[in-house]
Amino acid sequence: MTHAKRFVPPSTTQLATIAALAERQLTAAEVEQGLRDRLTDDQIEENRELIRWFRRRYPTASQRLAYARRAYARWSKSFPR
Amino acid sequence: MQGSAFDEGEFFLAIDRCGARVVMIGRRALIALGVPVLTADYDFWLHRDDIEVFNRAAEPFDLFPNRNPEEARASGRYVLENDEHVDVLVARQRSTVHGETVQFEDVWNRRLTMRCGAADVSVPTIDDLIRTKLFAARPKDLEDIQLLESLRREEP
Repeated sequence: MTHAKRFVPPSTTQLATIAALAERQLTAAEVEQGLRDRLTDDQIEENRELIRWFRRRYPTASQRLAYARRAYARWSKSFPR
Repeated sequence: MQGSAFDEGEFFLAIDRCGARVVMIGRRALIALGVPVLTADYDFWLHRDDIEVFNRAAEPFDLFPNRNPEEARASGRYVLENDEHVDVLVARQRSTVHGETVQFEDVWNRRLTMRCGAADVSVPTIDDLIRTKLFAARPKDLEDIQLLESLRREEP
């Protein structure tokens, strides 16, 4: 019988590295390339389906914003202090 | 971060009532429009003449500015913080990574108003929100632009 690996949250150093990469400003050329690399029709449809679900499940802006606060609180609980 | 006692609805109401010319930008605006993304903070673009009135509205929520209004005007941005983190852009205009100039006044004149509880919250149009995403132009901003373009297809 195999056991699923236990999730190990990233260290603060790993988080800092990821944050630095995520916060990096792209050059104009990189942005151009990124915007040229359009999503496939399937990816666009997935995005649209996600948006439709979100708007259906949370029809008002305040419901959506409240959901986002709850989701962020849940997500951040799994990270090291 | 644990959810604090911060009441988002009351915060929006205080901003609405204070009369400041301000639009919510960043991922929180995407969420309000209908895009499910995660974010930790709030981002606003505020008219530079309305810093004082905006700060007074935020004060009851224990949100305090890291710069005085003159310093904020000089630098073009400041932060309100405590348990929450609120980035406030106060520049008259910003340039995208492509060099396109985006004026606050134009974004304000084209703004959309959304009802959030008892408050009206102003957000940019989808096109303007895409432009603001090109100020910092980080990898996640490109992802957000793609989501906003998908959102645009959902609009009537």
